[in-house]
Amino acid sequence: MFERKITGFILFLVILMQSDLACAFEDDSGCLLCHKYPKMGRIDEKGVKRSYYVMPGVFSSTVHRNVPCTDCHNYIKQLPHKAVKTGVSCNTECHSIKNPATGKNFSHESIYDKFKGSVHGREKIEKGLDSDKPYCITCHTNPIYNPDESEPPKRIVDRCVVCHEDRKFVTNWYKHTSRRIREVKRSPAEIVQLCSNCHSDESLLKRHVKAAKDEDRELGSKFSIAVESYNESFHGKVTKYGFTKAANCLDCHAKEENYYMNVHDIQASRNPASPMHTSNKVETCRKCHTHADENYVSLDPHPTSKKGDNPFRYYANIIYSWVGDIVIVLLISMALIETIGRRRDGACWYMRKGSSWWHRSSKSKDRIV
Amino acid sequence: MKLTEEASKVLERSMQMNSIDETDRSEIFQLVDRMPDSRVILYKNVVSNPIGDLPRYSIHIRIQHMLTFVTFLTLAFTGLPIAFIDHVWAVPMNNLVGGIDVSRIIHRTLAAVMIFSMLYHIIYIAYTTLLLIIAGRFELQRSIIPILKDVRDFNHDMLYFAGRRTQRPEMDKFMYKQKIHYIAAAFGNLVMVISGSSFIFPEFWAAILPSGIASYFQEMMRLSHPHEALLALLVIAFWHWYNVHLAPGRFPMQWTFLTGKITREHQIEEHFLEYLRNLVELPEERAYLQNLLDARELTPESIEEMKTVEETP
Repeated sequence: MFERKITGFILFLVILMQSDLACAFEDDSGCLLCHKYPKMGRIDEKGVKRSYYVMPGVFSSTVHRNVPCTDCHNYIKQLPHKAVKTGVSCNTECHSIKNPATGKNFSHESIYDKFKGSVHGREKIEKGLDSDKPYCITCHTNPIYNPDESEPPKRIVDRCVVCHEDRKFVTNWYKHTSRRIREVKRSPAEIVQLCSNCHSDESLLKRHVKAAKDEDRELGSKFSIAVESYNESFHGKVTKYGFTKAANCLDCHAKEENYYMNVHDIQASRNPASPMHTSNKVETCRKCHTHADENYVSLDPHPTSKKGDNPFRYYANIIYSWVGDIVIVLLISMALIETIGRRRDGACWYMRKGSSWWHRSSKSKDRIV
Repeated sequence: MKLTEEASKVLERSMQMNSIDETDRSEIFQLVDRMPDSRVILYKNVVSNPIGDLPRYSIHIRIQHMLTFVTFLTLAFTGLPIAFIDHVWAVPMNNLVGGIDVSRIIHRTLAAVMIFSMLYHIIYIAYTTLLLIIAGRFELQRSIIPILKDVRDFNHDMLYFAGRRTQRPEMDKFMYKQKIHYIAAAFGNLVMVISGSSFIFPEFWAAILPSGIASYFQEMMRLSHPHEALLALLVIAFWHWYNVHLAPGRFPMQWTFLTGKITREHQIEEHFLEYLRNLVELPEERAYLQNLLDARELTPESIEEMKTVEETP
């Protein structure tokens, strides 16, 4: 009986797997012949476990679901393929998808080039300090872009297919367009979290500070405390609470015009191209603080009470804390002395028959009964 | 009771200002002569109404206190979770008022109410002081303005509580504690308003301050707002509430902030000079005291005539 149940369950799982495969993307090149196995992977030279399992159900809901594997993995010429050296580069030209505006093969080339020119720019495979920089997939983890790709209402699809005939085409087109109209992007709190992933990594920061010192290279004065100090600021605190109108990292460090392109073009604030460069600060602050002037930009958007960063605030903070503590201790002491004195004098904690003086006083001056 | 020189002056001035006729003058002097030499005997034997017997605060002062009281606590409740965001209580406390989008509106609206209360108080105090000056009734020592006597009173009072003096000092309408608290509150209020305004209008402050100072000013304000708020809250919780709620003889609370009246025993104990003025200004208080002295057979020498007290159950 038990064996029959087990067999039935396994059969059920197999059917379930088959149905999953059935709704997955079109695997023209037969990649899933091998990559469908969950245990497919290896332990690399650094001892890191790498999985090569492709989850068809997940991949088929990503933005790349319509791109055949070999468009990106264009170094695969035969099956079984040879060992992969560099993997996919995000500026690879896509041969199966055309850019409807230009008719050319689709590519992320332009934004990729912009990113390469930024302070974060790097190659896919890097060694040394540059390997700490983010590559495209550090930030662009596909699934986060998809929750808003809801199914189109049936009435709309019914209407479109009158001319466009293909229901699948209409559904995909609707999802693609509607998501972009909704301007799905990370919330300010998510943006701060994303930047914090690297900029609050102590060992990473130490590595870069040390290297800059060794090479006598200039580094931003707030580089090692960027996240900590932002979280200390009013902008940081309200953003952490989910307020969306206070400045997040990108609001100040990326140019406002052509936002989606320029968030890939972050520059060090010593670079004149950066919105945080001295010559651009007034204009940048004015995006929100419309009356900002030269004086205004001297206010520190990354405040800390660290001695090395802001000695004035460091000492002011110490004095403030001491004054506060001393005041409280003195006042509580005064209250204690008063309580002891009043109790000794016969004062009660209640008023009875119009008087609080019902206890015997140690000074023998008492209420006459 | 033989009045001290200071008390005699207060009594004389009060009688002059209230144009007391000869009959009343002699009545007041007789009454004062009959009072026990020890004020302790007097305030321990009077009968008080817990909600107050003698006038102290006008309705305006009570409204101002109420406005400041309600706005201050709500401002602290909505502001502290933002300043101390890393503490475990911060997020639940902020959620309790509806999250950041709600709490910031509440905070700013109530800040405006608190500023209104502050202005209301300043205008009211300035106006009434002006009227008193014009009428020739203004007395510096009866006001909240600190004078040298307060330092002496403080010293004397601490020695009394330590058991090294037989009586508490003769204090005026506002004793040293109230003056400290008032000045601290006024200063704190000003700091909170200025620092708060530097958060809402940072461009304004940057524009009017010299370039070398603007950033230091903003840093000071960023520090001041939470530090001052926390200090004020602790002072209120551990000192003000102690004085008006928890101190022996004040528990469970003084009603003065609601009724505007102070109990007789409290007035004699801590504001004896003001009680002398009450005797001048309120004939019914003279009658009460006369009856009390008769009924309890209190005389200037009452110290030696002490009877036993009833033990509290």
